[in-house]
Amino acid sequence: MTAVIETRAFTKRYGRRTALHGVDLTIEPGRVFGLIGPNGAGKTTTMRVLLDIIRPTSGEVRVLGEQPRAGGTALRRRIGYLPGELAMDHRVSARALLTHLAELNGGVERGRLDELAQRLGLDLSRPVRALSKGNKQKVGLVQAFAHRPELLILDEPTSGLDPLVQQEFLGLVREARAAGETVVLSSHVISEIEHAADEVAVLRAGRIVEVSPVARLRAAARRDARIAVRDAESADLVARLRSLGTVHDIATSTAGGTTTVTAHLSDGLTGFVQAIAGVEVLDLVVEEPDLERTVLAFYETGSDDAEEVGA
Amino acid sequence: MTALPLLRRALADSWRGLLGWAAGLAAVIGIYLPLFPSIGGNPQFVAIIESLPPELVSALSYDQITSGAGYVQGTVYGLIGFALVAFAASGWGAEAIAGDEERGTLELTLAHGVSRSQVVLERSAAIALQLVALVAWASLLVAALNEPAGLELDAEGIAAGGLALLGIGLVTAAVALLAGAITGRRVIAVGAGAGIALGGYGLNALGNQSADLEWMHALSPYHWAYGSSPLGEGLDASLWLLYGVAVIALGGAVVAFRRRDVGV
Repeated sequence: MTAVIETRAFTKRYGRRTALHGVDLTIEPGRVFGLIGPNGAGKTTTMRVLLDIIRPTSGEVRVLGEQPRAGGTALRRRIGYLPGELAMDHRVSARALLTHLAELNGGVERGRLDELAQRLGLDLSRPVRALSKGNKQKVGLVQAFAHRPELLILDEPTSGLDPLVQQEFLGLVREARAAGETVVLSSHVISEIEHAADEVAVLRAGRIVEVSPVARLRAAARRDARIAVRDAESADLVARLRSLGTVHDIATSTAGGTTTVTAHLSDGLTGFVQAIAGVEVLDLVVEEPDLERTVLAFYETGSDDAEEVGA
Repeated sequence: MTALPLLRRALADSWRGLLGWAAGLAAVIGIYLPLFPSIGGNPQFVAIIESLPPELVSALSYDQITSGAGYVQGTVYGLIGFALVAFAASGWGAEAIAGDEERGTLELTLAHGVSRSQVVLERSAAIALQLVALVAWASLLVAALNEPAGLELDAEGIAAGGLALLGIGLVTAAVALLAGAITGRRVIAVGAGAGIALGGYGLNALGNQSADLEWMHALSPYHWAYGSSPLGEGLDASLWLLYGVAVIALGGAVVAFRRRDVGV
């Protein structure tokens, strides 16, 4: 098995409640892989099983070629993990805690903690329990990246971080990927990870409803478009857009001899660009694709429908 | 420098608490022992004891109070010092797994290069070291007050009394740790530790009441520790029962903690 993470029919039950229903997941090495889903979808459960903090009820789970439980200590040293509910009430300084955690993994190269702390803007001398939520999150990120693990498993990594630090975090993720490391990260909103992840799996109620490269999600995502033309050409433009079948909610408004046509685009831009090429376009705005809405569509529809949307 | 990181971390995190318990023990010993000449050695006080209901006197182990060894056991090793050590031990035992788990901080430790067994064993070792320190401190204080208070304890008695107190502490901590390793619930763990200590005390007190109830002594860790009056009579084989039970509970904790999900 060459995959970094591979699960087959992986199921986790807590008493009568089933958290994961037979998840099949394959994550290739050197990828940045996102797990997207609403709270309670099973993202944290999946990650905890990978770290052997909890055990699967049935099915097969392999991480770096080994079962988490059998791989034990040696396997976990190859992984960097950021818990989703990061609890830290330690009286000691951030440096003392990080040094201790690094020691559990067999040590970390000299200067590495300082380098990471500096990049994220974390003061290592302060007691951990006196740190704000965002600064605790930085401590969590530093301990996950410190030993340059082959596999990073980060549960809601950007939670509580301000935008500048989020950028720095994305830089760390890109460097990790460039170094051949594999990164798995989760979020309940895709916007937090769409710029980091190559591929995402959408989890809903313990099932994977979609696995797709981010580029494909983006291509399929709905975009808002606004086109300004002379009044005389507006009818022609609307007709061309209607004929495409992938342009919805077309509306027009007229002011001072100019007609502004607004519409929602789905399924890529090629047809749209060809359609508007025949008219004289005075102004054109196409918004960033709205991945959030694409992902929400997976949550709302049944899993069968979702597969069709992604196909 | 990299050996036993969890043990070193546990000790570094708990020295404040240890100082508190040590101060409490010092206060108890410092208050009770100097009073021996005016209580145990005082005919008027002895007359008061004799006028109490005999069931009460035997329940409190005050029937030996006229000897130095009986007095030290009746007031410190078998009563208030016992309670302090038992509460410290159940708190430490409960914190080692269940408390850490309930606060959500255990997950981060377990995600690193440590095994479940290592967590249980290194943290147990830290608790054992703290209990050894507490009991050694108590023994030192008792030895220092032996002459001035006229207790007439010998070195073997002080050592045996310390081993009894340490054994009770280890059993209490190990049972609390076991309950925490099984359930992950701090309240249950504290309750189990305190329960074994207080339950043992209760069984011992009931067993003292009549020959019909004496079988209860066999089930009482408190009786294993103090039934043979270690401060006066020295080491007794029953003491080792405490250590055996502590080791068995610890083994159970390792097995239980290796098997289950953490933090759910």
